[in-house]
Amino acid sequence: MKDIFVNEWKGLFRNRVFLYLTLFFIAALAIVTWLGVIQNQKQIEAQNAAHKHIRAQWDEMKPSNPHGAAHFGSYAFKPNTILNSIDEGVNAVTGNVLRLEGHTQNDVVYSEASQSLLISKFGKLKPSLLFQFIIPLFLIFLAFKTLASERETGRLKLLLIQGISLRNLVFAKIFSIWVIGILLLLFATLVQIIFNVNQFNSNTILRLLFLISSYGIYYLIITSLTVYISVVLKNSTASLSLTIAIWVVWTIFLPKIAGNAVEKLSPLPTRVEFQEAMDEDRSKGIDGHNPSGDRKKELEKATLAKYKVDSLSQLPINFDGLVMQADEDYGSTVWDKHFGKLYKQLQLQKRNYQLSGIINPFSSLQNLSMGAAGTDMFHHLDFLKQAENYRRVFIKTLNDKMAFGGSKTGDWSWTTDNAFYKSVNDFEYQQPSLSNDWSKYLIDILVLLSWAIALLALTNYSSKRVSI
Amino acid sequence: MMKAYHLFLYEYKHFIRSKAKVFAFILFVIASFYALYNGFNLQNKQQETLSSIEQKKQEGITKILSWYDQGKKGPEDRSWIDITTPFWALENTPTYSIKLPSPLLPLGIGQAEQYGYYKSVTTWSSVYDNDMVEELANPERLVNGNIDFSFLIIFLLPILMIILTYNINGLEKDLNFDKLIVIQSGSTQKWILLRLSFYSTILVATVSVFILAVALLNNSLTSEVFALVLLNTLYIIFWTLVFYFIIIKSNSSSSIAFKMISIWLIFCVLIPGAVHQLVSIKYPANYMTDYLDANRKEAYEIYELAPDTLSVRLKNIYPDLIKTKHGQDNLVDKEIINNTVSAITNQINKDAIAKIEYQNKIKNNFIASSYWYNPVSFVQNKWNSLTATDYTAYQDYRNNVQKSIDKKIELQVFECWNRKKVDKKTFENYLKILK
Repeated sequence: MKDIFVNEWKGLFRNRVFLYLTLFFIAALAIVTWLGVIQNQKQIEAQNAAHKHIRAQWDEMKPSNPHGAAHFGSYAFKPNTILNSIDEGVNAVTGNVLRLEGHTQNDVVYSEASQSLLISKFGKLKPSLLFQFIIPLFLIFLAFKTLASERETGRLKLLLIQGISLRNLVFAKIFSIWVIGILLLLFATLVQIIFNVNQFNSNTILRLLFLISSYGIYYLIITSLTVYISVVLKNSTASLSLTIAIWVVWTIFLPKIAGNAVEKLSPLPTRVEFQEAMDEDRSKGIDGHNPSGDRKKELEKATLAKYKVDSLSQLPINFDGLVMQADEDYGSTVWDKHFGKLYKQLQLQKRNYQLSGIINPFSSLQNLSMGAAGTDMFHHLDFLKQAENYRRVFIKTLNDKMAFGGSKTGDWSWTTDNAFYKSVNDFEYQQPSLSNDWSKYLIDILVLLSWAIALLALTNYSSKRVSI
Repeated sequence: MMKAYHLFLYEYKHFIRSKAKVFAFILFVIASFYALYNGFNLQNKQQETLSSIEQKKQEGITKILSWYDQGKKGPEDRSWIDITTPFWALENTPTYSIKLPSPLLPLGIGQAEQYGYYKSVTTWSSVYDNDMVEELANPERLVNGNIDFSFLIIFLLPILMIILTYNINGLEKDLNFDKLIVIQSGSTQKWILLRLSFYSTILVATVSVFILAVALLNNSLTSEVFALVLLNTLYIIFWTLVFYFIIIKSNSSSSIAFKMISIWLIFCVLIPGAVHQLVSIKYPANYMTDYLDANRKEAYEIYELAPDTLSVRLKNIYPDLIKTKHGQDNLVDKEIINNTVSAITNQINKDAIAKIEYQNKIKNNFIASSYWYNPVSFVQNKWNSLTATDYTAYQDYRNNVQKSIDKKIELQVFECWNRKKVDKKTFENYLKILK
């Protein structure tokens, strides 16, 4: 088997077209990876500049009322990870800016896709585009006539007479071509590491390994499928036509059809419906029996009892701060209810899409690639959750200052100094660790592995029955 | 002429005998129906949402009219509201600015899912408000996109052409009887071009029927529809010529197929992807800090200004204010100023938005400058422009929203400065003005 493998490689390297194509891919990967890193760095710089600019305004805040500051609010800018330079996932279509303020939970807005004319339907020319579209096609090109041409030229008979096992020959061909895909992957990874050497941590390395492994398995699927078809079909033209047809269906057709189907299976509400339901709960009370006016009266009664006084003016604290925080707490419950439902629905859609990998391994690859790069929907929802959690702490800090900072009820002109505002922590997004989150991708991993094993088994089975 | 006719007839027989080609063509037709269904679906969904908004607006108006009828000044739990003043009457007037779905939306969803298409207009609104965002959608589905009709034409139709034509002259070369073609037809090149034309004609006819059918169904047989037919024809001719050159320069059907799919990848995926990447490097995604500053920091600074200063700034925006009752008073009424200060923040927002739109314009010009080597993006944006689902269509919508905001603010400012008393009749007049 080793000899056949070596012989295959020698054969490949004697082929000038192969050599030129390989050189082209190496150069293309180097340039594309480098451009991906540059683009990502520019975006990170822009994000950092915006973040600093907004924070500076907060730090320079004049002595003011904490509730006024809650309305002034802050902004969370969606950060780009290093691996965004390989696969940007959903980042171009989701918003980048989230306003964090009192009373309201806002939407993340200003997506890159909404800021210009449409350019590419398949995304930017990043390594993932080459990994997902071009390298598989290159592997198909290398593998489609690997056995058919041996058969057409009569070389196959000669090899078998010499005592070579057909099974070994087929598998040596699969692995010799697969290794080329792996080497191209490793090369792109090396370029990525060189340009980002200072920014790698254990999580990033783990993510990168996860990403390479996913593509590695997918390339094994593509190579073994092409060789399998080459084994089964009698001529190389039919073999190429069928393989390309499958490639087109997998990469172009099915992801869109599956995306549409999962949205129809578990539909999302329209924004109007969603907002109306939230507004209703916000005004009438989450269980429909607790109007906000009643809630305020209950809180007043409880607070007066707690401080053993008869009126709000006798309170040693500012009751307005307590009311606003109670309203925030209530708003958070409403948010949790509605957004929880929405996120569950989105996660259900994601799970169904993951299951579409059973008929289309490309979907599983896409999921794993975005997941490893930290740019899929799970990571986007995680950003939104962390930002909302921060907003709650941020607004509570301001409301607590209003309530317990020394002002009295009704004193809206009371101010607190700049040192307090400076002491409020800024929002910092913590990317989740892949070692904790890998189970979210279990379906994709299993599906991809099953495809690889099934195709290898099928090829093994067919190689015993192939007509010479 | 007769030769061409016979060749077309020969190709027709070849086509109907090839199960794979007929299957691919039928699949394309089915996919077209599915894509149009998706487009109609989105159109209906948008129309339903807009109907519910219209209903909500009417309910709001009815409620306010009933307050006038009953002599109420506002809701019972909000004693500070007084709809007999222009400020509160206009603050409570439900005003919406909407973008009706384009009648040609089923032919191309374009960027319709990237933008909002309805907006509640208040005197504090701006065109980059939070409620101007797109409908709730799965972001991963947005990344993958829809099987919409324009996607089928721009990206999948060339693949169908590959399936239909990759063995023209290739099969003859594979089976070594290509010399016979020279003997029989005289010119191989003409023979190839005529065979290719057969498929191009079928595809032009099929797509044109779909375009015209949608136009007729939506009662919008406009010049845009004929421009779409023309654009589609030119696009098919473009690919026909590209494939023609590949066929005459190749030696076998597998070589033709591989070159065709590679060219498809270059034109449809790699070049647009490379331009997209270049645009992102040159113009990274905008975090809109100009607008955020205007909306927050600068707006807050306004509240700290003295009424006299604000009065002057308001008069700078609307010079005719000096002719109003309050404009002719020597004393500045703080309440009137506070009630009309939104005109100043609107002006600040507009200035910031003009900068953002200008930055986007530069970005779009850069994209347009790539069209000469990026024909697929050109066709895509031209198509979206004809179906009114591109960036420009939504920019026009933003401009309309801004006009609506300006109108409401101007009405409020002048009515407040004229110290108008609002009754039912005046309110109904407001509704007419803001319609």
